[in-house]
Amino acid sequence: MNICSLIVHTKPAAGTLVSERLQAFHGVEVHGGSEEDKLIVSVEDEGESMSPVSDTMNALRDVEGVVNTVLIYHYGGEESME
Amino acid sequence: MSESEKRNELNRRQFLGNMLKTACGVGLVGLGLGAYSKRASSMPANYIRPPGALPEEDFLGACIRCGLCVRDCPYDILFLGEVGDEVATGTPYFIARTGPCEMCEDIPCVVACPTNALDHELKDIEESRMGLAVVIDQESCIAFHGLRCEVCFNVCPIRGRAISLDMQHNTRSGKHALFIPVVHSDACTGCGLCERACILEEAAIKIFPMHLAKGELGKHYRLGWKEKDKAGESLVTPDTEHRYNLPEGVRYDLQGEGLIIEGEAEETPFSSNPLDTLNSGFMDK
Amino acid sequence: MKLTRRDFIKSNAVAAAATVAGVTLPVTNAVSADADDGIRWDKAACRYCGTGCSVLMGVKDGKVVASQGDPDAPVNKGLNCIKGYFLPKILYGEDRLTKPLLRKTNGKYDKNGKFEAVSWDEAFKTMAEKWVAARKAKGPKGIGMFGSGQWTVWEGYAASKLLKAGFRSNSLEPNARHCMASAVGAFMRGFGIDEPMGCYDDLEHADVFVLWGANMAEMHPILWSRLTDTRLTKPGCEVHVLSTYEHRCYELADNGMVFEPQTDLAILNYIANYIIQNKAYNKEFIDKHVNFTKTPTDIGYGLRASDPREKAAKNRNKGKLSKISFEEYAKSVEPYTLEHTSKLSKVPKDKLLKLAKVYADPNKKVSSYWTMGFNQHTRGVWVNGLCYNVHLLMGKIAEPGNSPFSLTGQPSACGTAREVGTFTHRLPADLVTKKDAHCKFAEKTWKLPAGTIPRANGKSDDADQSDISGKPMGKTLIHAVAMHRALKDSKMNTFWVMCNNNMQAAANMNDESLPGWRNPDNFITVSDPYPTVSAQAADLILPTAMWIEKEGAYGNAERRTQFWREQVAAPGESKSDVWQIMEFAKYVKVEDVWPADLIAKKPEYAGKTLYEVLYTNGQVDKFPAEQVTDSRGNKYDNHESADFGFYVQKGLFEEYRLFNSVKGIPKKGHEMADFDTYHKVRGLRWPVIDGKETLWRFHEGYDPHVAKGEGVKFYGKPDGRANIITAPYEPAAEPPDKEFDLWLCTGRVLEHWHSGSMTRRVPELYRAVPDAVIHMNPKDAKKRKLRNGALAKISSRRGEIVCKVDTKGRNKCPEGLVFVPWFDAGRLVNKLTLDQTDPLSKETDYKKCAVKISRA
Repeated sequence: MNICSLIVHTKPAAGTLVSERLQAFHGVEVHGGSEEDKLIVSVEDEGESMSPVSDTMNALRDVEGVVNTVLIYHYGGEESME
Repeated sequence: MSESEKRNELNRRQFLGNMLKTACGVGLVGLGLGAYSKRASSMPANYIRPPGALPEEDFLGACIRCGLCVRDCPYDILFLGEVGDEVATGTPYFIARTGPCEMCEDIPCVVACPTNALDHELKDIEESRMGLAVVIDQESCIAFHGLRCEVCFNVCPIRGRAISLDMQHNTRSGKHALFIPVVHSDACTGCGLCERACILEEAAIKIFPMHLAKGELGKHYRLGWKEKDKAGESLVTPDTEHRYNLPEGVRYDLQGEGLIIEGEAEETPFSSNPLDTLNSGFMDK
Repeated sequence: MKLTRRDFIKSNAVAAAATVAGVTLPVTNAVSADADDGIRWDKAACRYCGTGCSVLMGVKDGKVVASQGDPDAPVNKGLNCIKGYFLPKILYGEDRLTKPLLRKTNGKYDKNGKFEAVSWDEAFKTMAEKWVAARKAKGPKGIGMFGSGQWTVWEGYAASKLLKAGFRSNSLEPNARHCMASAVGAFMRGFGIDEPMGCYDDLEHADVFVLWGANMAEMHPILWSRLTDTRLTKPGCEVHVLSTYEHRCYELADNGMVFEPQTDLAILNYIANYIIQNKAYNKEFIDKHVNFTKTPTDIGYGLRASDPREKAAKNRNKGKLSKISFEEYAKSVEPYTLEHTSKLSKVPKDKLLKLAKVYADPNKKVSSYWTMGFNQHTRGVWVNGLCYNVHLLMGKIAEPGNSPFSLTGQPSACGTAREVGTFTHRLPADLVTKKDAHCKFAEKTWKLPAGTIPRANGKSDDADQSDISGKPMGKTLIHAVAMHRALKDSKMNTFWVMCNNNMQAAANMNDESLPGWRNPDNFITVSDPYPTVSAQAADLILPTAMWIEKEGAYGNAERRTQFWREQVAAPGESKSDVWQIMEFAKYVKVEDVWPADLIAKKPEYAGKTLYEVLYTNGQVDKFPAEQVTDSRGNKYDNHESADFGFYVQKGLFEEYRLFNSVKGIPKKGHEMADFDTYHKVRGLRWPVIDGKETLWRFHEGYDPHVAKGEGVKFYGKPDGRANIITAPYEPAAEPPDKEFDLWLCTGRVLEHWHSGSMTRRVPELYRAVPDAVIHMNPKDAKKRKLRNGALAKISSRRGEIVCKVDTKGRNKCPEGLVFVPWFDAGRLVNKLTLDQTDPLSKETDYKKCAVKISRA
């Protein structure tokens, strides 16, 4: 199981637009920040069929309107801790 | 998973996420993937190790779970991890909101530690770094709205150094100041007295383990104005005096106001304060 | 379970990113829109200090469920301090008193009995019996009432009538005696009219602020945030702070000075001397608007007459001013050179010089602020006056930004204690009992026979006033500290304490207050919402409706009068102070307290109760009870009107206005708007004339009492001139010596208000600052083998308490001085303090006595 959070800086006033574009990726959720043009994004892998988190993150960088992405937090442990 | 199940699941996720949103700290800027997954999963964020605790991995190796630190804490703030806790069984921790470290000058918990898991080199409690206070919820903290609270500042035992008040103009009211609490990691011990004292129902200032709380500037980068302060002068030869082409009556203050048009206020023979005029007493002449 | 864990981790991840980005995610604890439905919002003045912030109280189902700072209030613009944030909680402490409680044994009143619940009827019957007996046996000083600057305006007014007109006694004092009396003394001596000439707008207009013994950062938090804002945003603005220890204001100070206690007298004289030596004074202003005078010196310390310090005083209690010339004045301040003053005060020369220069600079507008550092001072009237001297020399007074400003500690010290005049020597609107004409005016206004109100000297038209005791009245004035002494000496036998906690607040508890209250000859009544230290020491406790449990009015430090309506019902049988005063008056007949010859002058009063004579006189009961309704149609209860059958508050206020707002009154300058107007505005600053407020008094254009062409006129004085009053430095009453080697200064903290009877019942405030600590210098602590957090015994010649030592806290004491706050009922610092007063104002000095400290 991999879960990451990122800050995605967008071009001015493009927060909402970029937010929609990012949501199209599998395992990507935008939690807020579109008004500040700093999106709070989580990326997670959803089972083996999905692409690895690192690929998704690389792809996000190339989305139109994205200026920069900063990785904040990564969890990469086993799933069945309980 | 069907669509409806997925929606339910999302709702539940959002709900849980919302509940926990304020309960965690600043992440780990700039660290690579994967390397620290163990650490992220080690302890709840509000569990704080006693003063002098070695870095978590070393600490877990050195601590023999004897409980002597717990016994010798005069304020009974320390707990030992129990089976089922999300902390290694038998290891000590405290929870700032309910029982912060009272910062004993003789640090009895460290003295009691038989193995140096609590570092015996720690002689001055003000040098300890149990964690770091973070003003995590600026939306709820009433100081950010201009209310005169400052309880965290007032109770901080590292007076004025660990928490300072940044005074700012209150643009909303137009005539009051904001007294914004700012935590300084070079002085904050993470004792948690501020978190306990926070008057909100859920504290807006919280202690987090250092690795959760602290960002780290790129190793190459220095803050220019701080380096200049440290050196006491410019690091590079100071400029020779600047001179400018300027019309008459105009000056330029390089380090301060910039362009200054002299005599702007003196265009009329009257003082800007009408009372000067009223009091000038021409009737007596 | 798998999902839970995943969600947990994810929410951690998301919150971490949000924090780093400084982005706020949707709030989880936002009150849902539904919860705010049905809340009735209305305005009120904050319950605590003299700043006078306005708050909005949200009531639903008879309970205050929400609160906010009032965004439309000019004082605070929606802001509050931490105490104001928790205002609703002061109503809902778990130990509210709900029934009258009387000490009893075997069903009968017994001074040493246990408290038992009784009916209001039994309470007042018992009380009236004691009061009438004491009044008959001991004369006008045999009874006493101790009220408050926290009383609403009409409560103070009703009490003044009950004591001065009903019981014919001047034994009425407010706790403002401990707080503002020195300021009042200086206003009257200097200007002939009470209260500041400036207003809070000075906070935006001054270039320089000087704080003299005022910790505004903690005690007037919202005003401090305005001062701070000016310092931050106005180019060239400076803040100078003077105190006997470093407090939170020093965080902002450009020139912070710690002086040796009592040497503020010398510093102010040095500034005057500097101004004169440098010929910086405003000659035109002085020539037109100022008289020079001197006051007798060596006047004692307000201790009992038997004290050796009193016997040694040459001019004990004397204060009569005599005129001098400017040259004589200049000569009187000449000894206060920079050298001498710096040595005496221990303030470095450069700092004193910097301070003197800002006062002497004609182009800098200076506002000086002070509170208890000046007022609670054995030379309090002097030191207030010395500050006016400096402002008057420069003409820096009564105009925007140039303002000597006395701040108040209580919400209505101005509005009630001072304006209504609930002091032993005062009557409403600056009238005084030493003037026969003033008393006669009050008697006429109150429809009483001439000679009812006791004159200060017991003589009306030069003849002795007759009294129910059969003896001449004699001198009738008795101030707060003397009341406790009289109780101890059995000269006063009944005492009613309302709306304050005087057992905890008065100095020298062990030697004076407690023996006085527990004296078997005496019957003590305490009206309070909570079981305070005072209630514990009482014989009868009356449960009291507080603050917004009644319709009220307060007057703040800038002359702003603010009203509120009754928002919620008080618990149990609690009743407001005004209800208690008026209801008690029903239990006393005119014949019980008035001699026959006085009744003969008004035979229609024979057989009537004081209630009928004072409160159903055709004026107070003029307005019928009505449904109180605001402009939006919200309805409010009014428990006093419901019980008495007329609009009590309106009647009392409108009768009060006969003293300050109609033609033919003895003292102009206190004009107020009518009752209904105040319910519609967020306060008005008096004098209010033709509906217009007054911001700066004595100044043409700003003050309607100053005629065109007069410029400045101090119209409180017959010749329109203010007094510069010279007074020297004189030492304190009890400086440290070999055994008691430290100064003790007492005071407050931001989180608690006064004796903590309200704020210590707010769990969050209690958690923030649970106990009083001894703030002391680390070197002093080390010398006594004490370290931060250790328990120490602090003792004076009068008592001892045990507190934790704090060497790192908010107050940084110089070596030789310690500071202990007085909010803590568990650590009563007034066991240590000395009952010394300013001999002129009779206000206690809580800032200077000698103590020693050792390990506990």
